[in-house]
Amino acid sequence: MSLNFNINSIPAKLLKDDLSAMEVEAFVFYARKDLVLGAGYGTAISTRGGPTIKAELDKIGGAKTSDAVLTKAGELKAKHIIHAIGPEFQEPDLKNKLLNTIENTLKCADENGIKQIAFPLMGTGFYGIPLDVCSSIMIESFTKYLTNSTGIQEIIICANDNREYNAFSNILENKG
Amino acid sequence: MKERSYKANLLIEGMAKKLNRQMVGSLVACVHCGMCTESCHYVLTNPDDPTYAPAYKADRMRKIFKRHYDWTGRVFPWWVGAKSIFTDEELEELKDISFGKCTNCRRCSINCPMGVDFATFNRALRGLLVSVGVMPEGVAVVSKDQWEIGNQMGVLPEDYIDTLDWLSEEMQSEFDDETAVIPIDKLDADIVYTINPREVKYDPRTISDAAKIFHIAGENWTMPSEGWDMTNFGLFSGDDALGGAVAIRVYEKLKELRGKKLVISECGHGYRSTRCEGPNWAGIDQDFIMESSVFTMLNYIKEGKIKVDKSKNTGSYTFHDSCNNARSCGLYEEPRELLNLVVSDFREMYPNRNENYCCTGGGGAMSMSEYTSRRLKSAKVKADQLKATGANIVVTSCHNCVDGLTDLIKHYDLKMEVKQLVNLVANALVIPEKITAPEVPTVEIKKAPLAGRKILVVDDEPDILVFFKSVLEDNGAIVFEASNGEDAISIALKEKPELMTLDINMPGKDGGWVFENLRRNPEIASTKVCIITGRPELRRLIYDRPVPMPEGYLDKPVDPDTLLFNVRKILEVG
Repeated sequence: MSLNFNINSIPAKLLKDDLSAMEVEAFVFYARKDLVLGAGYGTAISTRGGPTIKAELDKIGGAKTSDAVLTKAGELKAKHIIHAIGPEFQEPDLKNKLLNTIENTLKCADENGIKQIAFPLMGTGFYGIPLDVCSSIMIESFTKYLTNSTGIQEIIICANDNREYNAFSNILENKG
Repeated sequence: MKERSYKANLLIEGMAKKLNRQMVGSLVACVHCGMCTESCHYVLTNPDDPTYAPAYKADRMRKIFKRHYDWTGRVFPWWVGAKSIFTDEELEELKDISFGKCTNCRRCSINCPMGVDFATFNRALRGLLVSVGVMPEGVAVVSKDQWEIGNQMGVLPEDYIDTLDWLSEEMQSEFDDETAVIPIDKLDADIVYTINPREVKYDPRTISDAAKIFHIAGENWTMPSEGWDMTNFGLFSGDDALGGAVAIRVYEKLKELRGKKLVISECGHGYRSTRCEGPNWAGIDQDFIMESSVFTMLNYIKEGKIKVDKSKNTGSYTFHDSCNNARSCGLYEEPRELLNLVVSDFREMYPNRNENYCCTGGGGAMSMSEYTSRRLKSAKVKADQLKATGANIVVTSCHNCVDGLTDLIKHYDLKMEVKQLVNLVANALVIPEKITAPEVPTVEIKKAPLAGRKILVVDDEPDILVFFKSVLEDNGAIVFEASNGEDAISIALKEKPELMTLDINMPGKDGGWVFENLRRNPEIASTKVCIITGRPELRRLIYDRPVPMPEGYLDKPVDPDTLLFNVRKILEVG
């Protein structure tokens, strides 16, 4: 199950997969301000990736909303993780914060020479951002950022289930 | 005018979306008659504390409703007790009541002459709090695991499949039959069997027991590779979106496999969520049958597909009705009918069926460690009920109840065991001759499946050390012992055991310290670990650590068969 499309001529792909098990240059983890990996994808990262990721995060200590922090990916198949601190639980100015978070994530990738990056549907599920809001903002952010000056060559949107996949593909279709 | 916090505002606004007819009926109908008071196990064990009374707890939400959504409260707030909320501290107080003083067991609801379903709007209140990020840490952890990993306990896909494969190998070996397997993702199966992740993580024997029953019944069945978790934390957290997402994953997988019937293993909230509430949360109708495995097993016996010998289940048994199975789904008689087919000495518990008391672990209570002391105090009612039966085994069809009951049995020192019907049916199975498990070919293998395997047993209780050592040595293992954390690490470094059984609660350096030091030391990091604890509420000391998780987990008390079964599983000894 996958859908190929382009964002400003940069290839992009929507697929349903297991984010932290993907063999990509970097994937994005929707992180907390204290950078504790915690549950959910954090469980998968710490279990599969081993303790070095956490150790690297401990040294950084913390970050603020909309920041993006790069670490290596330990024993995971990916090379790097970008820990993106997005808004949560209906917090004020949520849409702008999410836009900034995605933009900073892409900047972080560019600054570190990362050419391929996989995103989850940012902040949906536990953090409560509606699927349609998230999908629209992700597409808007990608379209704004991915211009000729970027070094990013491939964007992957990794849906966790059919619900997420269908929501993103519907928004993509509506936006033409 | 008093300023209201951002979150308090959101909660009040969000309430509008929750106010359906049933909810409003419950919010306005209470006449404060007090009939609910004596129904609640929290009240019965805290008679001098009015904050546990269902009517008091309900009033916390009712006051907000009246102030903002009922004309009487908007016009005459002082007259009808209407009151708004303004601060984040007030949200914390609501959290404490909603999550920490109620298990949503619904016993007060059925005893209310006005039909006030407190549990329904307590769940709605939980959902409102969760939507603004106010929830106990344990609720956050479990919810996030279920949203992102696909099951409540963060069991990774590879661990789930490995467990099923290992159980298949065990069964093939037991029956000496290559067809005795757990089929995964088999198309066009008559039964798609879904389970609670607790079975994978803490109690794989329930899976193998079910597999044996399906195999001997000649069932065309399968287990799904994803969408296999029929539990649903949305029921407990009040998050309808999570409820819908989880239910859809289960339903979609069954359809993808073209399965005919969804069978739900013995789990009260899983049964209620998947069969009764899931279609509403998901907003879709289902055209396939969903049933509890209690019905499946009962029908196998009635139809002659399996034969059972009740004399194999010795001891005296009582039955605990899970709140979600019984009060919310009417599943009373079938489990008793099945139980009476597989045991000889059944003793009813009083009160029972829809009047039964909660195990005290329901409503997500087992995941909220900050309320453990309250939970165990309130469990006195259940403990007295259990004790009065005179039975030595309590049977229940719910995994939450297994954990809740196990914890209170230990706390009140009741000398009882907890079992599920699947354990008893599997144990009573009469194996047809053609698939009778042959004698194990050599005496050596039968007697020493762990021959030469080095195991370090860590526990501060001398009796436990002696017990584990003798069971493991009888099966051929080379056993080392440590009674404290420091010794555990130094012996591990010296002897390099393949497996460490590890108690959590030890004086000085506890199991959490041992576990993290083991995992962080490259010399011994690969040692397999089986946590064995009598304090399940301390699991987070292990599982919250930023190191790879332990390979196994057992609750004390543990019997020799269970110990051996789990050690063999972890060491992959067939």
